[in-house]
Amino acid sequence: MFWLFFNHEQVRTMSRVKRRTTHPPYWHVLKNNQRQDEKISSDNLRFVREVIQDKYKNKSPIKGSDLDIEKKEWDPKTKRSGVIARNIGVQHMWEKDGKKVVCTVLHVLDNHVIRYVPPEEYAKSIIGAKVFRNRKPLGCLVVGAEAANPDRFTRQYCSLFSEVGLLPKKRLARFIVTPNAVLPPCTPLTAGHFVIGQAVDVYGKTIDYGFQGVVKRWGFKGGPASHGATKFHRRGGTIGTGRDKARVWPGQKMPGHMGSERRFCRGLKIVRINMKYNVIYVKGTVPGPTNSIVQIFDTLLPRRKFTEAPPHPTYFPPEDGTLPQEDIWDSSLHVFGSPSISV
Amino acid sequence: MRQLFANRTSSILLQEKCDEADEKSVSKQKPGDESGNTVVVAPPEFRFMYPEFLPDPAMERRNRLKEKLERIDMLQRRSVVEIPEFYTGSVMAVTVADANSPNKFARFVGICIQRGGSGLRAWFILRNVVDKQGVEILYEMYCPLIQKIEVLRLERRLDESLLYLRDALPEYSTFPLDMEPERRLNNSVVPINPLKVKLRPRPWLERWERQNLQGVEDLNLPQRFYDKAEKVAKPWEKYDLMLQYRKTIPAEEQEKIFSDVHSQLQQQEFKRKMRRRRGTDNEQ
Repeated sequence: MFWLFFNHEQVRTMSRVKRRTTHPPYWHVLKNNQRQDEKISSDNLRFVREVIQDKYKNKSPIKGSDLDIEKKEWDPKTKRSGVIARNIGVQHMWEKDGKKVVCTVLHVLDNHVIRYVPPEEYAKSIIGAKVFRNRKPLGCLVVGAEAANPDRFTRQYCSLFSEVGLLPKKRLARFIVTPNAVLPPCTPLTAGHFVIGQAVDVYGKTIDYGFQGVVKRWGFKGGPASHGATKFHRRGGTIGTGRDKARVWPGQKMPGHMGSERRFCRGLKIVRINMKYNVIYVKGTVPGPTNSIVQIFDTLLPRRKFTEAPPHPTYFPPEDGTLPQEDIWDSSLHVFGSPSISV
Repeated sequence: MRQLFANRTSSILLQEKCDEADEKSVSKQKPGDESGNTVVVAPPEFRFMYPEFLPDPAMERRNRLKEKLERIDMLQRRSVVEIPEFYTGSVMAVTVADANSPNKFARFVGICIQRGGSGLRAWFILRNVVDKQGVEILYEMYCPLIQKIEVLRLERRLDESLLYLRDALPEYSTFPLDMEPERRLNNSVVPINPLKVKLRPRPWLERWERQNLQGVEDLNLPQRFYDKAEKVAKPWEKYDLMLQYRKTIPAEEQEKIFSDVHSQLQQQEFKRKMRRRRGTDNEQ
């Protein structure tokens, strides 16, 4: 009677969902330039570079007092923007009682807000309609990171950024925000957007393991290594009962492509922020290999949300010219320059 | 009966780092050939004295910014605790803060049989025989619980990894726990101890005859062991340039890394020397 209790329905629906593609969605604009390298003389190349520099000259940094949209107050239901970062590795740190802690180092790239899509408009788009089917719609902030040479992108892709006067970015991301956390285009987002001790959710694409067998992919035990086992060491074994249904159930665990899926790591605590290099140290590990891009935003977990106002809508350097503290540590961590711990 | 008891302060499985050994042996062959012409370049001995400043050579996991930040943290820690130059084969004493010991500090003396790791994860293993029981402790060099690291005898051995001491006679791993630091006659050169260790009769923990150990006396095994070792050996690896390239950091990068770091290290050394001199003056 075991088969009565096994929830086949849920497995069947999820097995029909396509988990990964190698191409972007059809509504995306063609991004990378397909043409071959033209043979340009060095003088012309220099001229092209000068034109690009003139076109995208550095704008003066946006100050908090210059915000076009009226600064609205923070309340516990506000959703702030997130940030695009690169996972640059793992570093070991120690707490004040000597316990070792594995921290992931996330380098916040040069993020700039590209545009804001108001709630009514976003609810009409394909993704927005799905997300806000049964609830009140929220706005969407498009953020870009990692500026690159416009030569490598198509004109349509560059036009997404030229409206705001920014160099085209290699990565784009959308963050759902409440209307009171809206940022004007060209606003830079830095590591100061976050607060020490806060919990964040990190979304990334997991390590791509390729086509993997059933032992690695699903944790099957395989077969005996010896005792006469003929060609049965890492195979799956039986895939059905034979009696009821007389076929293989959809969702049967088999070898296949493993990894390269979007996953969230929820509630990771920020233990250290380096304002000079725009680097965040987060306690725990993050989905994806080293040097992969991740998105960081304030946590959804209800018990770890903010109780006091964070830098809202984002962090702006102080207007009187004072530099912020370069390296901020959480109170539980042992700072490396301080004396050794004596228990 | 074999009496081996390995105790680790951290729960990491030990893996033989033959690649570290290879890198060291390649560089040992020409210690004096490289010369730094500019003032900024650190002396070439730095990559033997401070090998943990070099990152893990695996290209998939390398990131220059992260290595730079890690080096800053390492130098910060070194400004508080003196982490001296040592090699496998040096006898060291480490004092660690320990909640469970009577006077809250635990001191252990032993010979360094292996060292590895890069950056803040750098570790070394000390071995000693205490009350006829072999004890090995793995210490993480940058752990803030470590109060003091002293090198009692600074010397090198013929091998980069002395794990064979586990199968050797216990007198080769025994060092008195109250050993005094020994003074070196010649400060510029680190002496190489050409000691050949006698192993206990088989069975052993590893097949030592397959590892080209220099610091071990003739193993006196039947010929079939050496024949099998020849069959299993990979003599082409010493000609494999790409293998060496993948295991080491290129020389230009090493120069860049150490030129960042050596001025700070020298300043720290200088401050310590002044403190020591002032300390002896005060005593007088």
